[in-house]
Amino acid sequence: MIVRILKGLVAALILLVVFLPIYWMAAASLKSNKEITQDATLYPHEPSFDNYLHLLSDRQFDAYLLNSLVVTAASVVLALSLGSLAAYAIARFRLRFRLERIVGLSLLTLRIVPAVVILIPVYLLMLELKLLDTWLGLIITYTALNLTFCVWMMESFFREIPVDLEEAAMVDGDSRLAAFRRITLPLAAPGLVATAIFAIIVTFNEFMFALVLTATPRAMTMPRGTATLIGRIDTDWASMAAAGVMGALPIVIFALLVQRHLVRGLTLGALK
Amino acid sequence: MKQTAPVISRGRSQGAGLDLALPYLLLAPSVLITFIVLVYPLWDGLKASTKFYRYGKPLREVGLDNYLRLWSDSQFLNSLLVTVSFVGLAVAIETLLGLALALFCQREFRGIRLLRTVLIVPMVITPVVVAIVFRLIYASDAGMLTTLSELAGGGPAQILGHPTRAFIGLVVLDVWEWTPLMFLILLAGLQSLPSEPFEAARVDGAGPWRIFRDHTLPMLGPVLAIAIVLRTIDAFGTFDQVFVLTRGGPGEATRLLSVFGYDTAFKFQQTGYAAALFVTMGLMILALALAAVRLLRREDVA
Amino acid sequence: MNDRLLNRRLSRRTVLQGGASLAASAAVLSGLGKPASAQTGGKVIIGAFVDGGLAPFKNSIIPLAKSEGNFDVEFLEDEYGVTLEKWFADAQSGAGQYDIYLLDDPWVPQFGAADVLEDLGAGGIAGGDSDWIASMIDMGYWPPREGPRVKGFEGAEPKLIAVPFVGDLQTLTYRNDVHTNGAPKTWDELIEKGKEGVAAGKIKYPIVFRGVAGNPIVTSWYPVFLSFGGQFFDDKWNVTFNSDAGKAAADFFVGPMKQSAPEGVVEFDSDQEGAAILGGDAGAIIQYSGNALKADDPAQTKVAGKLDFGVVPKKEKAIAQMGIFIASVPKSAPNKSNAIAFLNWYTSPATQAKLAEAGSIPVKRSGFGVEKPGNRLIPVALQQLDAGCLPRPRTPDWAKVEELLGIELNKALQAGSGGGAALDAAAQQVTDYLKQAGYYQ
Repeated sequence: MIVRILKGLVAALILLVVFLPIYWMAAASLKSNKEITQDATLYPHEPSFDNYLHLLSDRQFDAYLLNSLVVTAASVVLALSLGSLAAYAIARFRLRFRLERIVGLSLLTLRIVPAVVILIPVYLLMLELKLLDTWLGLIITYTALNLTFCVWMMESFFREIPVDLEEAAMVDGDSRLAAFRRITLPLAAPGLVATAIFAIIVTFNEFMFALVLTATPRAMTMPRGTATLIGRIDTDWASMAAAGVMGALPIVIFALLVQRHLVRGLTLGALK
Repeated sequence: MKQTAPVISRGRSQGAGLDLALPYLLLAPSVLITFIVLVYPLWDGLKASTKFYRYGKPLREVGLDNYLRLWSDSQFLNSLLVTVSFVGLAVAIETLLGLALALFCQREFRGIRLLRTVLIVPMVITPVVVAIVFRLIYASDAGMLTTLSELAGGGPAQILGHPTRAFIGLVVLDVWEWTPLMFLILLAGLQSLPSEPFEAARVDGAGPWRIFRDHTLPMLGPVLAIAIVLRTIDAFGTFDQVFVLTRGGPGEATRLLSVFGYDTAFKFQQTGYAAALFVTMGLMILALALAAVRLLRREDVA
Repeated sequence: MNDRLLNRRLSRRTVLQGGASLAASAAVLSGLGKPASAQTGGKVIIGAFVDGGLAPFKNSIIPLAKSEGNFDVEFLEDEYGVTLEKWFADAQSGAGQYDIYLLDDPWVPQFGAADVLEDLGAGGIAGGDSDWIASMIDMGYWPPREGPRVKGFEGAEPKLIAVPFVGDLQTLTYRNDVHTNGAPKTWDELIEKGKEGVAAGKIKYPIVFRGVAGNPIVTSWYPVFLSFGGQFFDDKWNVTFNSDAGKAAADFFVGPMKQSAPEGVVEFDSDQEGAAILGGDAGAIIQYSGNALKADDPAQTKVAGKLDFGVVPKKEKAIAQMGIFIASVPKSAPNKSNAIAFLNWYTSPATQAKLAEAGSIPVKRSGFGVEKPGNRLIPVALQQLDAGCLPRPRTPDWAKVEELLGIELNKALQAGSGGGAALDAAAQQVTDYLKQAGYYQ
């Protein structure tokens, strides 16, 4: 009995710890700067969406959102499709010099090293290719960053699918690729979905490379755009809060919609 | 002589040529992109790290000078210290809290699904926004802590201007953001453990602490270790949150290696020196990861 | 099983096709986004960092530019902390996203040394016009016309690569009910009268300043240092800030000045400094104009009407730090001729007068002569300019030097003593840094 009350209390505490900060930001986004800095209220006394409207009409947040959607979608699709193919090759084939093992291991290594290590070289590369502040530059970068992780995840999913099924299809006359498409892919679908979800979240939220590789609303992503408001002197708290809400909302909604797969993917990744 | 997959028989001869080349074709695009965007820049960065840059242009070769200079640079050493302390403290707290929560939620109870849903949120919110959330909490003139303090009759909360408190504030932010990850992984780990050993132990009359120490912990070992290693590696690369929360300040109190490297490259225009810094950082983390893997291997065998 | 899976099937072909077409359309669209290279009669893209000091320009001058000069100004703002890197990257890569950068003046050496800016003098802007505030227009030349030059530029001909845009400098904001005879003339007077004010219960602290390590503390210390007669570098870039004058300034800063300030001053940044004066606790602060103008707004301050502006106090001289917005045109500007024409129009005496009326500090002396300046700080600014106003040393490495100095000063401030030793320590570090950067070869 006590245990049940205790569990309830702990659960309530967790809810509070998670939601109180978020509530505070959401509340601030509905206040005016004066109310935030001077009146110090616990909830907005005259809630209004002015801050959001300001961001969308004056601060180019509509552009940031568009850029984020395009860049995320393109790079995730590319990384997933190319990565699945590569993962399949690693999982199924034995090449000369065990090439597939080398590729697999290198991709894993690249996954381990924090991306910050290649921040400057990638910037210099995009500078040379004249791809700074373009969608293409970001897409290429994000695709590469996602590839290592997509290959790693899909490889283990492919390995779980018994080869016999493919063999059977090939005996029946399918080519390898046809067998892959008809048999393997559908079976690996949950893996694809989990990987895709991860990649979408990580790519949408990416900030560091966006900071360095973009400069104008032509290519700046949502996280990068949100940072234009952080300010050191004379901070526009209300706008900053609204920017925070706008920046977080798409991904949070997305994550809540797919949470079952998300949790499964997270834990599977670690348990493997 | 050719070594294609011996296990799978080739289909009809139609497309046999394609089959031979198939694995290479499948690998090619990924390898190409990875090479262009990851490997080549890495190599470029290595080359840049041996040069001396001025006003954005390389002036001359200096060999390993940049690397040596790092270790007598008090600002680098400070960054290293700050980073190691941050990672150590944050990951330790996240692991302990995550483990405690996981143990607590082990047995399904009403609302656990809701709890899991709720706990996803801190993890998926854009890290930049998490920093905004916490700036709104810590800010001395407009933040939540100040508001609460003033309502209680006290003065403004001074967090981000104070070196130690800003550092703790950063740790709290990371704990808030990532404990759910540890919780979810450890919970899944716990739930995947076989129940017989526990039943047997309980029948034997062992108390909860005993069970935990002798059974839970050892069996959970591998999962725990992986979670810690993954989280640690990611924590070393923390950038977004620090950049937005404190930009490395006040002074150097929260200047993690990533921020120091960024400043060195882009604010102070010492591109070569920064490249050397990042290579060093990468090597350190790689060494850490390899050591961890070696440790795990040994545990597994034992 | 197959039913469920069929719904989820990601056929390789469709995936690849979709991915390829997405990538292709992205490539096409990104190409579309590039600015047109043809001049479209008056378009000017200006990059600026968010700062209250630009509000009059934004609100009053941009519309004027349209109506008077048919200039179509696109004003792109970003946060101060990222603009330097962003614009430098743009200039270096030749990406051509901006026509004009509104730089913070300490950035000019870096851009100048990288040789990425257009020669505005050759483009038709008269740098020799005597109407310019001398100390401001000096900052637009690279290499600087006076003073030490960094290595590699000793013999080069100074070119005008930037023109002052909006003036800004430190002035004193003080309580006129405490300093009843006008602005305190000396530092001692500031503290003495301040103490009387504290005793009378009008204020809590004679002075409040910023103590956070780095740019904030160095900026606060600057006027003290300069007024004691300190100099940062000599002609050969040898460090001289730890001279006797410098050490005296540092000791005064971490001693008597700190004792007249709040306990937590070592952690203060502009938020707290501003709150102290506007909330009525501080007898005086030294600040740039951005926050100064809140002094008259009853919604922003509890002591409206009791705050006045004056020249900073002196020891030997009264010298404040100057930090202006300075406009430059990258060589890769897409609408270069428009940009230069815009700058010519903007810096004309007529427009400068309008700028002053709108409430910003102008950059030409004639602008100060308007009948109705937009705020009462402007005449005081002219007084300070004439009394003494110096920018930060003209070197691309100032950011690093400032950081090293700021860390040591902050330590001394925390301890409340050891100003001289801090300067020596900083001098050593700065010398080492400049040495490895090739300054002394």
